[in-house]
Amino acid sequence: MSGNMALAPEPTSATTRQIVVVGATSAVAQAAIRLWAARGAALVLVGRNRDALDRVAADSRVRGAASVNTHAGDLADVAFIDSLCATTTPVVALVAHGSLTDSAHAEASAEYLDYELTLNFVSAAQWLQRLALACERAGGGTVVAISSVAGDRGRGSNHAYGAAKAGLTAFCSGLRARMAAHGVHVITVKPGFIDSPMTAHIAKKGALWATPEAIAAGILKAIDRQRDVVYLPGFWALIMLIIKHVPERIFKRLKF
Amino acid sequence: MTPLSLDQPWGRGYQVTHTHAFAGEAPLPASNFLPRGLGRSYGDLCVNDGGTLLHNFRRDRLLAFDDKLGVLSCESGASLADIAQVLLPRGWFLPVVPGTRYVTVGGAIANDVHGKNHHVAGCFGGFVESLTLARSDSASPIHVTPDHPCFATTVAGLGLSGLMLDASIRLKRVPGPSIEQEIRLFGGRRSGSGIDGYLELDAESKPWEYTVGWIDTLDRDLRGVFFRGRHCDGADEWLVPQPARLTVPIDAPQWVLGRWSARAFNALYYRLHATKTAQRSVIPIWPFFFPLDAVNAWNRAYGRRGFIQYQFVVPTAAARGTVPGILAHLREAGVASYLAVIKTFGDVPSPGIMSFPMAGTTVALDIPAPDERDRRALDRADAMVADVGGRVYPAKDARMSATMFQRFFPRWRELEAARDPAISSSFWRRVTADVHQKGPQA
Repeated sequence: MSGNMALAPEPTSATTRQIVVVGATSAVAQAAIRLWAARGAALVLVGRNRDALDRVAADSRVRGAASVNTHAGDLADVAFIDSLCATTTPVVALVAHGSLTDSAHAEASAEYLDYELTLNFVSAAQWLQRLALACERAGGGTVVAISSVAGDRGRGSNHAYGAAKAGLTAFCSGLRARMAAHGVHVITVKPGFIDSPMTAHIAKKGALWATPEAIAAGILKAIDRQRDVVYLPGFWALIMLIIKHVPERIFKRLKF
Repeated sequence: MTPLSLDQPWGRGYQVTHTHAFAGEAPLPASNFLPRGLGRSYGDLCVNDGGTLLHNFRRDRLLAFDDKLGVLSCESGASLADIAQVLLPRGWFLPVVPGTRYVTVGGAIANDVHGKNHHVAGCFGGFVESLTLARSDSASPIHVTPDHPCFATTVAGLGLSGLMLDASIRLKRVPGPSIEQEIRLFGGRRSGSGIDGYLELDAESKPWEYTVGWIDTLDRDLRGVFFRGRHCDGADEWLVPQPARLTVPIDAPQWVLGRWSARAFNALYYRLHATKTAQRSVIPIWPFFFPLDAVNAWNRAYGRRGFIQYQFVVPTAAARGTVPGILAHLREAGVASYLAVIKTFGDVPSPGIMSFPMAGTTVALDIPAPDERDRRALDRADAMVADVGGRVYPAKDARMSATMFQRFFPRWRELEAARDPAISSSFWRRVTADVHQKGPQA
């Protein structure tokens, strides 16, 4: 790698409103960051893995981002969340981190189940709350949460993940109502299956699978149009409508 | 960018069994793996039947761009499509592009790809400033510059020398997103006259940066269409390629793939261009270099049984005699081919010991659903190529014999010696079948 790769944080001008991305190294976040970088956005990228974060930052600089600042840390650490949100002035904030819970592991280990629920729900809610307030202080903005179709109904095969996402969906719905009069808009994004590193272990991928790029394009469109809740791709709205209406008596016998 | 199929090569026609792994998330697989980009190699070069494919297409970040020297550092899974789209608006383009932009930088290096400017620019490998290589027998990545011994076995190393992590490549300045193109016809007067017409046009087109011909191999005259082009400025809306609006949704039925369909197609193609001959036009950069990228999954047009590509090169001195000889042999053997590509390579040396191009003339044919008869005819063509000191292109091959491969690429043992013992491919096992000594066997 050549030596001119600039990794040092760049000073953020007080007047520039930033786009804050939490979980910046996730596939969907990276795809969204590329679209924002091409528009010349000022970016604040937050993630757990320093090396991966630096690479995403370098990528956004080459693609045209006006400025890129990175913050690596434990995404579930309240002090980290607090200090970072106190100093940013976001115009858009995307909370994209998460982990696809391994159900068998969650059944076997209480610690793992606790960790997964904390990461997928508690930490996401903490970020959304703080970032929404940061947006309000900065004069208004949009906060986007990546929830999931899995949150629409608990399935036997991934109820821990589904429950965390259901909590997140409910949290967003309330936060949206709370912030509506304060110039902060909250968007709940519910993607279906995404062909990404998180799902790399699933070999057979059919027509229901979408690319991270398609999901990211949908997120930017949802922000432009100030949507409240979006299913991505849109056909999931229909699928989930049906799934939500299957009587529990039948649903509990379905193996999926 | 995502490959169309994780399990098949671009030429399709057969299914293989793989374990899949993704580069960058975990240590290298312990044994029998093959690094893979977007899987655009036509044959078994990009598959590893019974082993692991280590997918690299998600490691696609651009890391730095020096806009004074034009040097781009990127992860080796970055696609040429992405790089061109990001940097063309700033006046930079790739120094060498193959017929599709949906290949990764790692794939372009591993196959040392060539393009329509080979006669002036040489291969892709000549523009690599440095790369880093992860090997199963090295604790940390190796930094490889052109003077490093690993360079000549990584450029055109067929992915066998290690997993390429990052690469720095030299881009070139261009005046804008367009190509000034001229079209000329050749052949069509008397038997075999096409090759003379082609060679004349090619000789007088040396000042043009890009040259290529389409040749009708089913026509006894070897008639064809010659294209030459150079970069020029153009409208800003041409900076971005038109999204592919056509998709081949299903496998084409076998009857459209026969000889008579090929004849009809070729005749139509020639007539369409006959109306534009001698015309000079300015067109966007994208359709000039990547005409087939406008159609998603065009490989399905060849049906479920797939197709093979046959690309050979013969030295300059042998071109006038051997090219028509091989094409006549294939025609008489009943090998159907849609319009084939003809191109004259220059003498810019390539850094890879296994690079395909040499000073001479190359022809590439598509052969749909090859049967035993077609394969025998191609074996005979291999011998004709070898007899004049030419070679056949591994990136497109799915069938050449080990004996022939070893005649075409006498330095293959140096690549075998440099091969990461944990890496293998179906192709490599096939063409080194009699002498494959170390590392995994299928």
